[in-house]
Amino acid sequence: MKKWNSVTGKHGEDIAVETLKNKGYAILERNWKNKFGEIDIIAKKDDIVVFVEVKTKIGELYGLPEEMVGKGKLQKVRNMATVYLHGTDVPCRIDVVAVVLTNEGSVTRLTHYENVY
Amino acid sequence: MNATVYTIKNNMLTKIRSTANIGLTTIPIDVEVDVATAGFPGFTIVGLASKAVEEARERVKTAIINSGFDFPPKKITVNLAPADIPKDGAAYDLPIAVGILIASEQLPDEIVFDLKKQFFYGELSLDGTLRPTRGVLLLALFAKNITGSQLFVPEASANEASVINIPVYPIPTLHRLIQHFVKTKPIDTLSYLPIKDALDSEPPEFDLSEIAGQEQAKRAIIIAASGGHNMLMFGPPGTGKTMLARALPGILPPLTEQEALEVTRIYSISGLLPPGASLVTKRPFRAPHHGVSTVGLIGGGSNPMPGEVSLAHLGVLFLDEMPEFPRSALESLRQPMEDGTVEIVRVAGHVRYPASFTLLSAINPCPCGYLGHPKRTCTCSERQIARYRHRISGPILDRIDLHVSVSVIAVDKLSQSLKNNPNAITSCQAKKMVMDAREVQTKRFANTKIYTNSQMKNKDVKRFCILTPESENILKLASETYNFSARSYIRMIKVARTIADLDHKKDILPIHVAEALQYKQMV
Repeated sequence: MKKWNSVTGKHGEDIAVETLKNKGYAILERNWKNKFGEIDIIAKKDDIVVFVEVKTKIGELYGLPEEMVGKGKLQKVRNMATVYLHGTDVPCRIDVVAVVLTNEGSVTRLTHYENVY
Repeated sequence: MNATVYTIKNNMLTKIRSTANIGLTTIPIDVEVDVATAGFPGFTIVGLASKAVEEARERVKTAIINSGFDFPPKKITVNLAPADIPKDGAAYDLPIAVGILIASEQLPDEIVFDLKKQFFYGELSLDGTLRPTRGVLLLALFAKNITGSQLFVPEASANEASVINIPVYPIPTLHRLIQHFVKTKPIDTLSYLPIKDALDSEPPEFDLSEIAGQEQAKRAIIIAASGGHNMLMFGPPGTGKTMLARALPGILPPLTEQEALEVTRIYSISGLLPPGASLVTKRPFRAPHHGVSTVGLIGGGSNPMPGEVSLAHLGVLFLDEMPEFPRSALESLRQPMEDGTVEIVRVAGHVRYPASFTLLSAINPCPCGYLGHPKRTCTCSERQIARYRHRISGPILDRIDLHVSVSVIAVDKLSQSLKNNPNAITSCQAKKMVMDAREVQTKRFANTKIYTNSQMKNKDVKRFCILTPESENILKLASETYNFSARSYIRMIKVARTIADLDHKKDILPIHVAEALQYKQMV
């Protein structure tokens, strides 16, 4: 079960990366991690570093992907972002990309929320 | 689009009216609900909300979904304005839910709200039904002053508001409320129930005639019931002290309309009215166990709630085995006994509750109970007796006007009383006397806020209690002989006034003063 979840997540992240590229974002890192956690995508646009958390769900029957990104997860992304920037004062923000897929893996909905923290 | 929804930068903002109760004061609250079209989905409540209000999030969300609507996956912000008043309780569930439904544009366009005049109040359960919510009467009393106001309150608590003549809609479920607005199944307003139709009197639990002997105590209890004077019964175990106390509710006069509203307000805010009840119809009779804490007796808590003294407002507070009560609890009775109100001060603010009660207490003469018994010997040491007596302080005793000894009755008298004694006064007769005396008082205190003689302040005593010269002489002589305090002196005049009222006399005659004197503690 877990294995399939990670496949779904990976698939969602790939879709999110494509969408961000189309929007004019430069992708700096993917799955940047250390022992404290992981940032799904680090991108850059208009000199703003954007940390992106991607949440993917198959169908909305068991809840929206948005609901699965809680305060704790965002705090973790924020901490990780601080580590990534080495505490330097660079304009940055945290985004969430919510992806809903069908059983076959095609996208039913993709919402990009900017500056959620 | 709906007229009451403002569009500001694509956000949907709506304002629902509700109220907050701080003690017995009602403050209007605007529940502002904003459903943003942009932004990460979330649901926040601001405006000094307590834990119960914070948790409204989960209740409202589930109730909306279970009522067949969608909970919008959008950024929802709820503000309870004014923001500096602490809000507690679950009554904001309904206004928040209605606000979200309107602001997320889930309701058909043709519904027209009049949100400035409509008050929503009530707790939601997860399936969307409305649970009984306390304080509905206070909301109704507040809304009465706003012309054209309409109340939307839980069906189970709506009867509380039926005694106020305004349109009240009893709401069973959130779904039905919306149906009402869509006009598919309108809800009828509650029919107005005049207070005097709601009042009734019940037969007493004990009849005075069932109690053997104790004529003096019965007379005293009638005086106490007539004038609302505090009374203390003193005697060995098993002589009828508790029975006398239990007989008291049966001889108390029914509540007047104004009194019933005053009492019901306190019970409404405490949530002690049973679901479906509209009014407290009987005079309160509270008999807390002696394990009661000071806060339980006086009232308190971080959001101060009424205590036993306030729940006994305009009724009787019966303290059985008075020396067994914690001393701190007893001493805290001093202020309410004198002022008829109790002021509770906490960090969050201060609250004043009415507490004009008649104190009825029963004590034994000593720990073993048989001091002064004609046959049995008391096994207590002098020291034990002194310590027992010390548990009730002088200031409390000074505030008690009627001290009555309930002594042991002889066996032949007891057996006689079991065979239907025709001379014994019945509760029915006693109630008639009490009601006559109260009627005299009601006439006397028309246009004042006083109901009974015991509530008179010094200036009222001067105005209403005219002593004949001989009466004054007796009182003066007694005061000098027994060193009565100034308070005792005034209180004695009030008791004499009540005795004169029972006697249907305009002035206080020497015989009334003499009777009042014999109930006074002479030590």
